[in-house]
Amino acid sequence: MGRLRYIFFLSLSVLLATAQEDLFDLLDEESESTQYTYATFKGTKLLNGQTNETPGKGVLQYIISHRFGSFTDEYLYNFFGLDNAHIRMQLDYGFSDRLNIGIGRSSVLKTSDAFVKYRALRQKTGATFFPFSVTLYSALNYRGARFTDGIDHNTTDRLSYHHQAIFARKFNERLSLILAPSIVHWNLVPGPEDPNDTYHLLIGGRYKLSKRIALTSEYAFSSNRSYGSGATEERFHNPMSVGVDIETGGHVFQFHLSNTRAMSDPLWVAQNPYSAANGSLFLGFNISRVFTVNQ
Amino acid sequence: MKNILLTVLLVSSTFVSAQQYLTREARLNFDAGSPLEDIEAFTESGSAVYDATTGKIGVQVLMTSFQFKRALMQEHFNENYVESEKFPKASFKGYYGEGNVAGGLTIHGVTKEITVPARLDQEDGNFVLVTSFDITLADYEVKIPSAVANKISKTASIQVQATLKKFSK
Repeated sequence: MGRLRYIFFLSLSVLLATAQEDLFDLLDEESESTQYTYATFKGTKLLNGQTNETPGKGVLQYIISHRFGSFTDEYLYNFFGLDNAHIRMQLDYGFSDRLNIGIGRSSVLKTSDAFVKYRALRQKTGATFFPFSVTLYSALNYRGARFTDGIDHNTTDRLSYHHQAIFARKFNERLSLILAPSIVHWNLVPGPEDPNDTYHLLIGGRYKLSKRIALTSEYAFSSNRSYGSGATEERFHNPMSVGVDIETGGHVFQFHLSNTRAMSDPLWVAQNPYSAANGSLFLGFNISRVFTVNQ
Repeated sequence: MKNILLTVLLVSSTFVSAQQYLTREARLNFDAGSPLEDIEAFTESGSAVYDATTGKIGVQVLMTSFQFKRALMQEHFNENYVESEKFPKASFKGYYGEGNVAGGLTIHGVTKEITVPARLDQEDGNFVLVTSFDITLADYEVKIPSAVANKISKTASIQVQATLKKFSK
């Protein structure tokens, strides 16, 4: 009898012990929720190109960008190119956590532009899994500069378009990469042999050095680099840039070195006349500021 | 005799599990604001468990489930302050007794023993947990850059409210 009682209490205490262990295990069984990956990139722009990010709902963003003059062009006289700066201003708004619409104005060819950006798919883990984010981006570009060819041009001649799908994945806390195929359409091209549509593939990424500082880089391949009648040489060069992102609260500072000066889509991606091999390198920056205007 | 013991054993095992209470909809909110900046967030997807036999109580929350008024603040909270990628969850595991909960509070990967007042009242067969307490962010190695030191409070006040329902497996 004593033995049986012993077994009974032993079993009971084992049961109790299991019950106790189980109790806190219950907390961990909550993984049914889906967690969306956040902060794949600091900014909505990587350097010239777009990231998968958009400002949050009700957030107004202002970006001011500069691209300075070339290092090869009397760079001391021009104070490292700072005296020959091109500028672009952008104002955009997050209508939802996914939809972002903005406008911009750039001094290169007196360009006005407008864009729509939509986060179609988001990287997520947990109950449902998706390995990367997809953001769709469309930009319309209006050339404001006068034509110098002496021909009367329609307004439509001034328009060009850039449509892009941005595939982005945050591999870990530090590394995020982008692959972004795109198509550019020009209503007006320099010569009859020139294609109105060109295709591009941007690759880029960031590597975080610390919580607030990241190295960034991007490069875009182009289907056509020899615009111009019978041109054999490359008139346009693939854009490339390296930079550093510094985040301070509501600002993101992006400083970079690139072979591009135009900032409006699709000028920088499809018609970049500068070659890094010829020493055409430019300092530049984007500074963004966000304002929560609608909570 | 053996049969009786077996029955007692079986009954006691169901009795043990029947004394567990659970919710996946615990509301937690915190305030780490200052006169210069409102920093408030809440979630309604915390988990809480309580075993009425042993007095054991546990609360756990996913850091990314905290909702802020501003998207950027939420991003900074996860990315720069609590580092949700490295430390996805905050939890409390301890005991309830005599109007207090005592146990280990884990935030940002750091566990501290705390004892704070709490109410755990039985209502309609459920247990309602209500507690409110302050923590010092530095205790949990949450670093605040000097540039924003005057915008963020050095302490955060945390409120927990949960209705735990009887749980059986």
